[in-house]
Amino acid sequence: MQIVSLTMLQSVVDLNTPPPYADNTTLWHHITGSLHQSLLNVLSLLLAILPGLLALVVALAIFTLIGMAFSALLRWGLTAVKFDERLARGRTSLDWAPTTSPTELTARVSFWACVLLGLLIGVSAFDASYATATMQTGALLPYLTRIVGGALLLIAGTLVARFLARSVLIGAVNAQLEYARFLSLGVKWLVLVLTAATVLDHLQIGGVVVELAFGILFGGIVLTLALAVGLGSRDLVSRSLESHTEHPGEPNPIHHTSIPEESIRHF
Amino acid sequence: MATANPIPEATTSSAKAGSGLLVLISAMPAEQRESVLANLAAAYPQQEMLVASPDPQPEEMRPWLRFIPAPASKVNWTLTAADFVSAFQLAEKNQARAILMLGPESGALSVGELRSLARAVLSDQIDLALPCYALPPYAGLFNSALLYPLTRALFASRVRFPLAPDLGMSLRMAQSMAIVAQKFTAANQGETPVWPVNEATVAGFAIEQFPVSPQPQSHSNRPDLNTILPFVTGPLFSDIEVKAAYWQRFRPLPPPFHAPTSPDLHGADAAMEIAPMLQAFRLAHTNLQEIWSLVLPPNSLLGLKRLSTVTDAATFRISDNLWARIVYDFLLAYRLRTLNRGHLLGALIPLYLAWVASHINITASGIDPERHIEEQAAAFEAEKPYMVSRWRWPDRFNP
Repeated sequence: MQIVSLTMLQSVVDLNTPPPYADNTTLWHHITGSLHQSLLNVLSLLLAILPGLLALVVALAIFTLIGMAFSALLRWGLTAVKFDERLARGRTSLDWAPTTSPTELTARVSFWACVLLGLLIGVSAFDASYATATMQTGALLPYLTRIVGGALLLIAGTLVARFLARSVLIGAVNAQLEYARFLSLGVKWLVLVLTAATVLDHLQIGGVVVELAFGILFGGIVLTLALAVGLGSRDLVSRSLESHTEHPGEPNPIHHTSIPEESIRHF
Repeated sequence: MATANPIPEATTSSAKAGSGLLVLISAMPAEQRESVLANLAAAYPQQEMLVASPDPQPEEMRPWLRFIPAPASKVNWTLTAADFVSAFQLAEKNQARAILMLGPESGALSVGELRSLARAVLSDQIDLALPCYALPPYAGLFNSALLYPLTRALFASRVRFPLAPDLGMSLRMAQSMAIVAQKFTAANQGETPVWPVNEATVAGFAIEQFPVSPQPQSHSNRPDLNTILPFVTGPLFSDIEVKAAYWQRFRPLPPPFHAPTSPDLHGADAAMEIAPMLQAFRLAHTNLQEIWSLVLPPNSLLGLKRLSTVTDAATFRISDNLWARIVYDFLLAYRLRTLNRGHLLGALIPLYLAWVASHINITASGIDPERHIEEQAAAFEAEKPYMVSRWRWPDRFNP
């Protein structure tokens, strides 16, 4: 197939119109020769990686179909054995329990596992054909893996940042800290900066610059938080200290920050 | 490999207690326990009775009381799944007919009250006997705000204290509770509270409540509100979720039960304490908008916004319907996992404090606290169609 294509290209080049300037025939020949060579290289590379690309698409399509069939089979089978009801009978209050039904979840997981498998096989085939065509070591797949790893890190980091920010916000509000939102934002950005630095480091982008920038940013956020919390709590701390040193017998004047339980009993 | 049996073999031979009653006493100070034992002895004089307790056997011997060791509970202020499992195991091994579970403050229960609870479950007519405590107006507020109204509206039960630390159970009730509790203990969640009233209602068992004297106001060994509220509310919401098929149908309420009240000793103090609660609510309104807007519909958010602008603390009132809808929306968000459940229940705390402030204001204006609690429970009933509708079609437009 490659030979046929090259012959066709040769014939196309032969049919080209003659150079407009007869005096510069040599130059023109050089240019056309170079262009011809480049075109040949590109086309031959394309032709070489086409099977790999085709293999990627075919692998993905086949495994998607397998996944669809497998998930439909699982859904049917689990519904037939009343999997959800059986699981619900032994159910306790699990905080991590998913929203969707177990049958649906199993079917979806199996489908996406098949798709992922197809993608991996396809990328492997594509990478092998690309490496053969370029006569270089296979560098595409490792970097693709890094990109996928980086994306996963980014997603996990964002989720963790949001979770921690909410935890801190709710905890701080229930502890009646006036700077609850600021504290929550600080924690969120700390985790996001850490995530960004980790992702860039994972992708091998930036090198020392990223490390330096991360150090400066992280330290800056921590310092800002410490200053804000320290300054924000200055009155609270001073009043607390005063109450303990000057009037040890009197009730704490900062009682407005904690709910007394002398006469109110919640439980 | 031989496994250690938590219940000694010797206890099996001590069966056939005269009354057939197993009394399970939770860990408590020696004086309290002595008071409980004295009352028990007075309630059933000269009758053989099994007493299970995690505490060591008392020095003063009462020959008709047979002591058997019971496993200690991690949580001693309420009954947990592990307590119900061990109660049934002990009852089965000792062939008891009924069980009396007594909490750490049961020393305040009189002879007559102990006898009423025990007699009810020994009579084979009542499966679950619960005390109805005469609490001061500002005690047991979480029960009044959430546990009682939810239980009444969803399970059509008028039990005033669904999470009472003292109760009596027939053997079949104990078995039913043990089956439910076993799931938690198997998942290493033995300290989770379980809900006997809900179980008894669903199983169609007979429930009776008995008025009892005021309980002592001790605060020892109790975690704070931020810990207790999620600890209790989470399992309750889970239980409601599991029993959704039951409570979605309309069921008539039993006749009203007049809860005993005790004199208000701290009314003025309580009125002083609403300021920090309102401050907590306003702070939460400023900071938790993002989280509340995930859970509450616009109408409720608007109601909360109006409440946050109330400047005069004495006029702060949260309407019964708004509170009912807030609780229902949080219950729905718990079911749908709109956000992390720990976060969700944490975000409910300032709203509960707002309800407490409102309740104190209402009662300070001369309205009987018990009347307001009943009105609140009635609002939960009135809003039940809203809850059922949103439960069935959560994606439909909500006001």
